[in-house]
Amino acid sequence: MTTSTGAKRAETTDLGNWTNRLSGWVQGLVPPGQALPDRQPVYVASWIYVFGVLTLSALAVVILSGCVLAIGGVQWWHVSSLGHFVNSVHLWSVELFFGFMVIHLWGKFWMAAWRGKRAMTWISGVVLFGISIGTSFTGFLSQSNFSSQWIAGEGKDGINSTGAGAFFNVLNPGQMLLWHVVLLPLVVVLIVLIHIIQVRRHGVVPPLDADLEG
Amino acid sequence: MRSLSIVAEGPGRYIHWGVVQISVANLSIIVAMIILFVLALVVPFPSGHGDEADQERRQQ
Repeated sequence: MTTSTGAKRAETTDLGNWTNRLSGWVQGLVPPGQALPDRQPVYVASWIYVFGVLTLSALAVVILSGCVLAIGGVQWWHVSSLGHFVNSVHLWSVELFFGFMVIHLWGKFWMAAWRGKRAMTWISGVVLFGISIGTSFTGFLSQSNFSSQWIAGEGKDGINSTGAGAFFNVLNPGQMLLWHVVLLPLVVVLIVLIHIIQVRRHGVVPPLDADLEG
Repeated sequence: MRSLSIVAEGPGRYIHWGVVQISVANLSIIVAMIILFVLALVVPFPSGHGDEADQERRQQ
């Protein structure tokens, strides 16, 4: 039944239509049944494999609390106890995000997680780590207090020495806020999606001893 | 006044060890992360309902 349906679809698919081509590309991103699998190999039953999804969970709280902060505005947390609470949720979810991500990184490094054609999974994770640091940096520059002024004053010479100061001015709080709430989160979410797709395409890396036995 | 009290926090405590200088807060977080990492490796996972057939398929 599935085969005949698939054959019928192939006969009727107009590959000149970009919507059909895009649909086929999206469906081919991960193997069938691997987008949201309900079972995993037996070696995944270890706490060290939990830290990837803990990082994702913390990122969800970061984004949600950031959206609430965007409603109140950048000064909100200075004048409202609710704003202060949401700002603290945002800060501490970021702390957890980085903590979980670094433990995830340690676990994957010591199990050589780039094995088995997983190089792009590893590389996208490393790039994500770097972009996340930049995103958090612009967040500290958006506190609208003496701390953000001090960080900007200390950071400007380092940034300018790289040449990036031509378009990335840490002394411009408006620009830093927009990078923090629009550009960098978009990049982070995009690379997270790429990273997850890579994991789903190639599966969770087995432990080193399991790989040797195979 | 509340915002002033946030600004006027006392200086952090630092540990000096040769060229290494680190705040007690940062060192505590790093130590906690290392402990969490080791626990994740040694503490048994509560349920072991893995799919061995799936594992074999991955290894092929």
